[in-house]
Amino acid sequence: MSTPADMSDAVIDLRGVVKVYDTGEVPFTALKGVDLTVRSGEFVGLVGKSGSGKTTLINMITGIDHPTEGEVNVGGTPVHALNENQLAMWRGRTIGVVFQFFQLLPTLTVIENVMLPMDFCNMYASAERPERAMHLLEQVEMADQAFKLPSALSGGQQQRVAIARALANDPPILAADEPTGNLDSKTADAVFRLFEELVDAHKTIVMVTHDSDIAARVRRALVVSDGEIVEETVHRPRTERRGI
Amino acid sequence: MSPRWRKVWRDLTGHRFRTLLVVLSIAVGIFAITVVMGGRGILLREFEAVYAESMAPTITFDVDAADSSVVRAVERVEGVRMAEGRRTFPVRFTGGEQPRGVLSAGWDTLQVHAVANIATARIERTTLEAGRSWPPGAGEVLLERSVNMMSEYEPGDVITVETASGTRATLNVVGLVHDINAFPAHFVAGPTGYVSMETLRMLDEPDYFSTILAVAEGEPTQAEASRLAMSIRDDVLISRGVRVMRTSVPEPGSHFLGDIFRGVSLLLLALGVLSLFLSGFLVVTTVQAIMSQQVSQVGIMKAIGGRADQVTWMYLVMVTVYGLFAVVVGMPAGAAAGRWFTGFAADLLNFRVTSYAPPAYVVALGVAVGIAVPLLAAIVPVRAGTRISVVKALNATGMSGTSFGHGLIDRALGLLRGLPRPVALSLRNTFLRKGRLALTLITLTLASAVVMSVMSVRTSILATVDEVDMWRFDAQFYFALPQSAEAVDRIASRVEGVVAVSSMPEYRAVLSRADGSESDGIDIIGVVPESDFVAPRVTAGRWLEPTDASAIVLNSDVVKSEPELAVGTNATFNLLGEERDFEVVGVVTAGLMGPVAFTPSGYLDSLAGGTGAVTRLQVRTPTSEPTEQMRVARLVEQRLEERSVPVAFTQTQSEQRDQVASQLGILVTFLAIMGVILSVVGVIGLTGTMTINVLESTREIGVMRAIGASHGSIYQIFVTEGVVIALIAWALGALISYPMSFLLLDMLETAMGLPLTFEYSWAGVGIWLVAVVVIAVGASLLPAFRAAQVSVRDAIAYE
Repeated sequence: MSTPADMSDAVIDLRGVVKVYDTGEVPFTALKGVDLTVRSGEFVGLVGKSGSGKTTLINMITGIDHPTEGEVNVGGTPVHALNENQLAMWRGRTIGVVFQFFQLLPTLTVIENVMLPMDFCNMYASAERPERAMHLLEQVEMADQAFKLPSALSGGQQQRVAIARALANDPPILAADEPTGNLDSKTADAVFRLFEELVDAHKTIVMVTHDSDIAARVRRALVVSDGEIVEETVHRPRTERRGI
Repeated sequence: MSPRWRKVWRDLTGHRFRTLLVVLSIAVGIFAITVVMGGRGILLREFEAVYAESMAPTITFDVDAADSSVVRAVERVEGVRMAEGRRTFPVRFTGGEQPRGVLSAGWDTLQVHAVANIATARIERTTLEAGRSWPPGAGEVLLERSVNMMSEYEPGDVITVETASGTRATLNVVGLVHDINAFPAHFVAGPTGYVSMETLRMLDEPDYFSTILAVAEGEPTQAEASRLAMSIRDDVLISRGVRVMRTSVPEPGSHFLGDIFRGVSLLLLALGVLSLFLSGFLVVTTVQAIMSQQVSQVGIMKAIGGRADQVTWMYLVMVTVYGLFAVVVGMPAGAAAGRWFTGFAADLLNFRVTSYAPPAYVVALGVAVGIAVPLLAAIVPVRAGTRISVVKALNATGMSGTSFGHGLIDRALGLLRGLPRPVALSLRNTFLRKGRLALTLITLTLASAVVMSVMSVRTSILATVDEVDMWRFDAQFYFALPQSAEAVDRIASRVEGVVAVSSMPEYRAVLSRADGSESDGIDIIGVVPESDFVAPRVTAGRWLEPTDASAIVLNSDVVKSEPELAVGTNATFNLLGEERDFEVVGVVTAGLMGPVAFTPSGYLDSLAGGTGAVTRLQVRTPTSEPTEQMRVARLVEQRLEERSVPVAFTQTQSEQRDQVASQLGILVTFLAIMGVILSVVGVIGLTGTMTINVLESTREIGVMRAIGASHGSIYQIFVTEGVVIALIAWALGALISYPMSFLLLDMLETAMGLPLTFEYSWAGVGIWLVAVVVIAVGASLLPAFRAAQVSVRDAIAYE
């Protein structure tokens, strides 16, 4: 399904993206020629059942996976044409990735996990990094846990840290794959509010979810089914809903 | 420290058990290399230094009598750098004071060297190791230090010696010296003693020289040295009326233990190279296991901006740190064990070690094995691990990275029906990670093959020792002077416990070659062809027959040094001062006796003037019990003494066997030590591999426990897996060990120039089977026990 687009401020632009997995005797087509455009500052939800192709789609945007066919342009960069090293560097500076299972490195403390992307991408001066990491942890209300190991934190706390890590290099885009899927509803709500605040701060967020309640709260919800975007719902901006 | 290096540090320090295991796996390789190669390096360096310092003679003449003027004449010959004379002769000796008239059995042979001044001797130099009198005065003796490998002697002790003519004297032991040119006492069942020329007079021995030692100028070849020897013999010695009994020109720079030494050195080198391979595979296996554990973390790091080269460096630095730790652990341990090993070898081979410092190249090799080999080994798995796509890395779980059911082996295992489910699971688990299994199997197979080959080489050496035993006596007696055969046979046969006797003449001869040169001394032994006291192993031609007269059978040592001699040819020997022709009718195995030939005793006696004199007596007893043989031997010796038949040397069959075995036994001992070291490498390797396998399966263990598996079931699964791997490695190792042991023995034969009998050690295969199963059970039980203690929640969350 094609999406309405004003190409002038598009930060994510997918054209005819096909992904085929070679799973043995019968190849499996996870994406069937997806076109998608996301504008700067949008909060987009990818909704669908398990196996529908939504994670594959977000992996195309983050460069975690490569398309079999088609083009993926993010922030003006042809992601599909980058090699693994270029992708890593580009991703570290352009997209913050948040996973369902948090994926914090178990041997690093909370603050060290947040500083790691700055270290890898050589962003910010070394002396500045702890201060910035602490500032991000304050934003996600985890500053008091900065020197603990991830194993000492609850799931919701780990996800907050993962969000802080995703913001480490101040990327314009955040990609989150089921960020609330492993959290209870109260914690999930808190994490979602954090995302809303980031959108207010002009970040572009693409989030995969199978939770219809969460999907109802994003600006644009795209329903993925059987490797295609089959439906799009545009909700009123949050400020409008609040009557601002 | 930046976060990524903190992660490296925490991975090292946080997983202490894993770090310990990896460090031990690498350290054991360094240890083996340092012991084996270091031991070899020190032995070669020290042996060569001590031997060079001793100034071994290029030429040795055994003469009837020569004085200082003859020695000076030899020294004046062009090409001779220096010459010295000494008197050497055997006496029998025993500890303590034994006045004349006291009959004492239990004498040993002492090879006496009478030297004008041992302290200033320029050839065959000795070093004082203990004592004060240097050189010894009249009535004093210095003993070669290897005497203590037989029985304890120290300065201040007294010995009684008795010469062949029956003169008995008491000598004070005033010191122990080291003489690298003297046969070690335990090799020839008798030490060497050094006395002054004054002491000769106390022993009623003439004070002229019986041996002239000469060192040639420069570094002549053996052929050049032989030409020089012939020139000295003809132009200096014979022309001055000196009778030359033997001219010895050994291969220049070659010590008489050179064959054994080369054998030991070659074995050490071969085993060192194998150790290097073994530790290399161990490291590859270990690093690959670590990488597969880290794969999801690699994915996370790449997902948040880490480049492949950044992540690669993190793991390479980690491997370098493992290597550094391993060097710190393995190198000193290896050096300490190498020190012990070298000391042990130096005692056996009787040479001094002035420095136990391992050669620089061994230190470099150890560091290379510790750091470079792990790094090289790590490059492939680390690059593969860090180049994996992010999506694949993130999707990796504990049970993954693997797919089961597609390959031929998988399908075959799937067809196995009726196995208990835990056993079936173990079998399938074994083949789940095929890359890992292949590496583990290569490591274990190599270790198994080496251990089993070492056992086979040992068995082959022992079989060779058995072959040496061509005589069928229980005790034999050597006479310094020829004795009546009839008399000694009669005396011996009347001793209680003697059931059969055989006496034989034996003379030292030299082969007169076609070109006029002479061979080294060859002992010609007269035997009764049909006697059952001798059981030769004929390798060419035939054994002697009763109708033979001038027939002669040579042993393979004679044929080796005189290749023109073959069955059917004629051999001319200078025997008892006359040239005698013999027809070579057969060749028998050498049996480590040195160059020996056999001819009918009647014929040999006729050549000696038909005196019926013999120089050797053999007896048989009804028992093979060594102590009983010894008792009877002492009784025979005593009876002979009582009837004025002085015995120079007595030897029981078990003593002779021990003496032969002690020479090849050095190799056997070295092999046993090497076998133990390599077994330890194998044990640590298997333990490491199994532990990593189990650690990697921690999440599976959690899943199994979550669905109701008891601790016992978990143990059973992993122990079965370990035993299956060990059994496969054992079977493959046994297959490889056959050609490997054949090859090792062949190399040993070439190095030592000694024919060895190949005998594959089936017992070794059995012993290693038991050992490998025990090791596998132990290696899997310990990590499985640790894993079973982890809670289900932690096990499932295990990274």
